[in-house]
Amino acid sequence: MCNNTSRSYDNSENVEDDFENEREVNNRIFSVESDEELPPVPSELWINDNGIEDDVNICNFFHRVDSDQIIYQTKKRKLKIIGKYVMGDLLGEGSYGKVKEMLDIDTLCRRAVKILKQKKLRRIPNGEQNVQREIKLLKLLKEDKHKNVCNLVDILYNEQKQKMYLVMEYCVGSLQNLLDSTPAKRFPFYQAHGYFTQLIDGLEYLHGMRIVHKDIKPGNLLLTLGGDLKISDLGVAETIDLFAEDDTCHNGQGSPAFQPPEIANGLESFPGYKVDIWSAGVTLYNVTTGIYPFEGNNIYRLFENIGTGKFTIPAEIEEPLKDLLLGMLRIDPQNRFSIQDIKKHAWFLQRPPRLGEEVPIPPLRGDELHSMTVLPYLIEHYYLPYLIEHYYDCHSEAGSDIQFITERDLNEKRKNDKQQRNGNTQTPNTKRRWKKPISCITVKRIPGCKQS
Amino acid sequence: MPLFGKSQKSPADVVRALKESVNALERGGEKKAEKAQEDVSKNLVLIKNMLYGTSDAEPQTDIIVAQLAQELYNSNLLLLLIQNLSKIDFEGKKDVAQVFNNILRRQIGTRSPTVEYICTKPEILFQLMAGYETQEIALNCGTMLRECARYEALAKIMLNSEDFYNFFTYVEVSTFDIASDAFSTFKELLTRHKILCAEFLETNYEKVFSHYQRLLNSENYVTRRQSLKLLGELLLDRHNFTVMTRYISNPDNLKLMMNMLKERSRNIQFEAFHVFKVFVANPNKPKPILDILLRNQEKLVEFLMKFHTDRAEDEQFNDEKAYLIRQIQELRPVPGH
Repeated sequence: MCNNTSRSYDNSENVEDDFENEREVNNRIFSVESDEELPPVPSELWINDNGIEDDVNICNFFHRVDSDQIIYQTKKRKLKIIGKYVMGDLLGEGSYGKVKEMLDIDTLCRRAVKILKQKKLRRIPNGEQNVQREIKLLKLLKEDKHKNVCNLVDILYNEQKQKMYLVMEYCVGSLQNLLDSTPAKRFPFYQAHGYFTQLIDGLEYLHGMRIVHKDIKPGNLLLTLGGDLKISDLGVAETIDLFAEDDTCHNGQGSPAFQPPEIANGLESFPGYKVDIWSAGVTLYNVTTGIYPFEGNNIYRLFENIGTGKFTIPAEIEEPLKDLLLGMLRIDPQNRFSIQDIKKHAWFLQRPPRLGEEVPIPPLRGDELHSMTVLPYLIEHYYLPYLIEHYYDCHSEAGSDIQFITERDLNEKRKNDKQQRNGNTQTPNTKRRWKKPISCITVKRIPGCKQS
Repeated sequence: MPLFGKSQKSPADVVRALKESVNALERGGEKKAEKAQEDVSKNLVLIKNMLYGTSDAEPQTDIIVAQLAQELYNSNLLLLLIQNLSKIDFEGKKDVAQVFNNILRRQIGTRSPTVEYICTKPEILFQLMAGYETQEIALNCGTMLRECARYEALAKIMLNSEDFYNFFTYVEVSTFDIASDAFSTFKELLTRHKILCAEFLETNYEKVFSHYQRLLNSENYVTRRQSLKLLGELLLDRHNFTVMTRYISNPDNLKLMMNMLKERSRNIQFEAFHVFKVFVANPNKPKPILDILLRNQEKLVEFLMKFHTDRAEDEQFNDEKAYLIRQIQELRPVPGH
C-alpha cells in the first residue's frame, strides 16, 4: 500500500465514510462537506464569528441581550481524511494552489500537501504542462532520494472535484520566509554557508539525474524543522535527454531577477547546468548581502542590466566569498564555475566562524514550535463530543451537530490559549470546560492500530 | 585545573603513554598483554575526552587539540592503532574510530591537516581496507573508511590502489553485516565525487567492469540485486555519460541484462529492466546490439507485453515499457546488410 505512487478516488467522501464505518466513530460533529473553501483557521479562532449571521434567532430581534448570553456556534474543525492522510491547517499559498499540512495515518509522518485544482491551473499560462512536467520529474526522483531535494511521497486524485494532491515531505518554510523575517534580509556568513553547501549538493544530484532546475532562488529552497535545505518546485525544470551530447536548453521561464545573461539576452540555446550555477550565485549574493546584484524598474530594464553582466559587490563581502561570487556570476557560461569548481573553492571548503545571530525559522501563526496542526482536528473529532456531553449534560442535543458556547466561555478559552502560548503549556487550569478526566485508553472511539 | 583528582595530562604525555602501551600490546606475552590492553583503553578514553568532552567537561581548546593532532601525526600512532585494532578491547575499538574520525574532520581555514597527513601515509587507508578481512574489526574500519571517502583526495588514493579491487570480494563475504557494510563503502567510493568517479571508471573501464561482471553473476542474491541496482544508478548518472555509451555498445552486456530480465526474482527483473531500457533507447545502436535485438524482436515484444503487468499504478514504468515495445517493434535491419 505504501508503494503506490498514485491512487484514484472518484469520491473522497466515500472514502471518509468507509473510514468512519470501519472505526465506529461518532459523527455528531463531523460533517462530510469540504472545508477547503474556508479561510485558514488561526488556532485561537475556533469560534466561528460568521456564525452570527446564520443564527437568525439573534439577528432578527431588536431586544437587548447581554453579551454573556450571546450564543455562538462553534466553528467545527471538520476532520478530513484523504486516502491515508488526515488534513491539517494551511501552511502557505502559491499561484498554483494551497499547501496544507497532513499526517500519514499509517506511518504518523508529517507531510505537506500541494492541492492543485484543474480549474485554477487552466487559467495560468503553461499551468497544466508545468504541473505535468513537475509530476513526471518528481516521480523520477522518487526512485532514489537525495537529502537536499524535496521529495514526492504520494499523489492522490479526486476526479470529481478535479483536484490533485501532491503529498510532499514536510517543510517549515523557505529561505525567503527567513530573509523576510529579518530587517537586514540576509544571513550571517556561517548560516549562508550551511545552506549554500547543501544547495550545491542538491544541485549536483539533480544535474546527475539530468535535470536542470532553472528556477533556483531563496523562495524555492525549503527548510525542514531539522534545518536541512530542500530544493523544491520543479515547475519549470527541464530534463536533458539520456543520449544528448551536451546540456543544451532552449527556454527559460524562471524568476527574472535570477536569470543569467544568456537568457536575459534572449539566446536561442544555452548550456543548461550553468543556468542553475548563475541562479545559485545570485541566491548566494542575495542571502549574504540582502540585495540583488541586478535590479531594474521593470523586466526590460532588469534584463538589460543582467545582459551587461556588470554588477558590484558590497565592500563588506571579503575574499574568498567575493571570488566565488565573481566566478559564479561570469557572463560567459563557458567560463562560469562548474559545480566541481565551487566544491573546490576556498569559501566552500572553509567553515566560517559562528559570528552574528542565526536567523531562526519564523513562527507559523504565532507558533514558534511549528507544532502539528492536524492534532486539534483529531482531538475535536474524537474527544470533544464526549467531553461536552459530560460537561453540559446536554443529552437533549444528541443527534444534532451544533454546539453552543457563550461569550464567557469564549473569553476563558482565549485566556487559556494565551497562557498556553506563553510557554506554560502544562498549567492545569481548573476552569477548563472539561471536568471529568478522560482516560485515553478507555475511549472506544480511538481507532485501533492498523498494520500497514 | 581541577581542584581534586589528577591534574590534566598534556597531549604529548597521553600520546606517548598510549604509544608505549600499544607497543607493549603488539609485543604480546600473556600477562603483559592484559595490562597493556587496559592501558590502551584508558589512554584512548583520555584522548577521546579531550576531543569530545565529557558530561561534566567541555572539549579541550583548539590549541590543545592542535597539539594532540600534531603529536598523533609525529608519533605515527594512527597507523599503529589501526594495525593493532584487533587486539584492543571492544570499547577501545569504538574509541579508536571516534578519535580517528574527529581528528580527520579537523579543519584550519580551508585546510584539512589530517587529510594532508594521510595523503603522505596512504598505508593507513590500505590497512583500513584490509580491515574487512578481519571479522572483529571490519565494522570499525568501515566507519573510518567512509569518513575518509568523503574527502576527494583520500577517495582518489583508494580508488586508484590495487586494494580497491578487493572490495569485489568483501561485498560477497558470507557474514551479512560485513558484506553490506563493505558494499556501502564501495558504493560511496564509486558515487561520492562525481567527476573523480567518472574519470576512474573511464580510465579503468575494462578492469572495473570485468570485476563488476562477477558481482552481477554472483551466487548471492543480495550481491546480485545490490550490484545491479548500483549499475543502473552509475549508468544513468549524467556524469558517467561516456561510461554509459561504452557499456551499452557491448553485446555481452546486453545478453547479460536480457538473461537477468528472466531471473526468478521479480526485484532483479525490475532492476534489469532499468538497465535494459538504455540499450533499446540508444538512438545509435551499434550493429551487434541491433542484431541481437532483431534476432529476438518477436520474443522480446511478447515478453515485455507480459512483463510485470501488475504494476498498473506505476505510470512511469508503463510509459517506459510501452516505449520500449514500440521501439523494438519498429526495429529494422540497417540498410545494405
